[in-house]
Amino acid sequence: MNRSHVIYSKGTKTARIFIFLLLLIIAAIMVYPVVYIVLGSFKENMELLQGGANPIPTHFVFQNYVQAWKQANFAVYTQNSVLIALGVMVLTLFCTSMAGYVFDRKKFRGKEFVYNLFIAFMFVNVGSIALRPMFELAVKVHMNQSLVSIILIATGTGQAMYIFLVRGFMSSIPKEVDEAAKIDGCSFFGIYWHIVFPMLKPILATVALLSFRGGWSEYIMPLVFTMSNDALRPLTVGVVMLKNSGNGAAAWNIMFAGATISIIPIIIVYTFTSKHFMEGMTSGAVKG
Amino acid sequence: MKLFQKKHASLEDEGKASAWLMLLPSIFLLVITSVYPFIWLFRYICYDYNGYTAYFTGAHNFYHMLSDGIFWGSVVHTFEYAGLKLIFIIPVSFLLAALLSQKILGSSLFRAIYFMPTVISTAVYSLIFGFIFAVFNGSLNSILSLMGLIHSPVDWLGNPKIVMISIIIVALWGGLGNYMILFISGMGSISTDVYESSKIDGANGIQTFFHITLPMLSPVIKVILMLAITTAFKDYESILVLTNGGPNNRSQVMFTYIYQLIFSSNVTPQIGYATMLSVVAALIIGVVTVAYLILARKLDDVM
Repeated sequence: MNRSHVIYSKGTKTARIFIFLLLLIIAAIMVYPVVYIVLGSFKENMELLQGGANPIPTHFVFQNYVQAWKQANFAVYTQNSVLIALGVMVLTLFCTSMAGYVFDRKKFRGKEFVYNLFIAFMFVNVGSIALRPMFELAVKVHMNQSLVSIILIATGTGQAMYIFLVRGFMSSIPKEVDEAAKIDGCSFFGIYWHIVFPMLKPILATVALLSFRGGWSEYIMPLVFTMSNDALRPLTVGVVMLKNSGNGAAAWNIMFAGATISIIPIIIVYTFTSKHFMEGMTSGAVKG
Repeated sequence: MKLFQKKHASLEDEGKASAWLMLLPSIFLLVITSVYPFIWLFRYICYDYNGYTAYFTGAHNFYHMLSDGIFWGSVVHTFEYAGLKLIFIIPVSFLLAALLSQKILGSSLFRAIYFMPTVISTAVYSLIFGFIFAVFNGSLNSILSLMGLIHSPVDWLGNPKIVMISIIIVALWGGLGNYMILFISGMGSISTDVYESSKIDGANGIQTFFHITLPMLSPVIKVILMLAITTAFKDYESILVLTNGGPNNRSQVMFTYIYQLIFSSNVTPQIGYATMLSVVAALIIGVVTVAYLILARKLDDVM
């Protein structure tokens, strides 16, 4: 992303300062909810229930985290979130790196039809109704009591964009590379495993980041799948569930701590990889 | 030679088989998460299905839909939500992109900050906004009354006149950075030579913007708009967390209503009816998308 002079202006100094202040104010609005929840998670529940404009706790307490972790089951939720996000990431890398390779390198009947099917279902979205048949299917094969079904579905609904990304990257790798390996007697899969996979690293890093974020953020699908099973809930479901439970008002401190646990890891990852995130999002959307 | 050809052919065949094998995991997931649910959708469309037993009811679901005020209300709200979201999010993100494409102090930091909400779960940031919007102990009311802008607490999510605005605020916060980044990447693809020559011709900032940036970006803008429209019509996760369609269905959009018909724990699931509504909702979004595409082409002819 090069800087271009989209608005070329001779830029009087006041105008520049004005623009800078405007950007600063918007930035403050963007970070406010995060700062509010993180600082709030160290407030006593009394202070949270009284409210007020000051986001800084009068005295810092760590009790909310202890309570969330021990009494409100957040240890389990966190573990589930980590397992789902990692599971989605690994499975996505496995499926989409192979699919992207095959779609770019192999000619066979029905290939374009299958590829177009992937792309078409990116746009056909029937909303939450699609979760019902998947849930019934999971019950039939006795997989509704495990995280595996959640991982499979999250991977399946997100994979099309990543296949598209990998295929695009694949086409920039010269064919001579695999021709040479083929002459040396490497099989089609062997070329993938020994030669292509290592070369795909840059795009797979992006896919890994985006799919991890996808799995970590998933809400409605795991909500439906864990409706009657608290032990399988990820953080997103667990923390929102508290709001709707009877003692919602009394549990503000636990919800603040829970929401913080849910956003901090991904924000830390983001601060180190923001460029990757942004590039991944744009290559997925605009170039499509 | 013949042997070699034979061997080569069998290698090709082997390659074909392994190609299908390598596609298999992705195809399997596509079938269970997209193809199968899509076909399933039409199975219960003429049934009354509560999750355990299904009765054939003919066209009853269709007639029920015609007289279902909540559903048609939700259709109106979907358009209201999508329209309001687009009117704000597109110009603002475009303007931010234009500003941040320039040499401004800290522009990459600003980009990273504006984009940050994209990595946070929609459900979780909606929950956080729920706290901020809370009537008595929410921080928004405290801040506004401290500034002297309001005298009594505003019920952001409970007042039917305001609830849609509150939801739009959350949608803007969550989506702004995403569209900004898309615009920035589009702007980055315009060559700097064009700007140099307009500079030499003595064009000022605003002239450059309207005569160069905007026309040269129009293909990119079209794609982004298309994406923005389809996304806006499908949004419902945030509303589900913020208001669950309330108060009194005022923030009910098509997909929140359908969700409640299937998964709400308070009422008997009406799955057959929900499949009917899902098909209609998908059709409505399809019509909007096609209408946009036609309009975009017409605009092309004019410009």
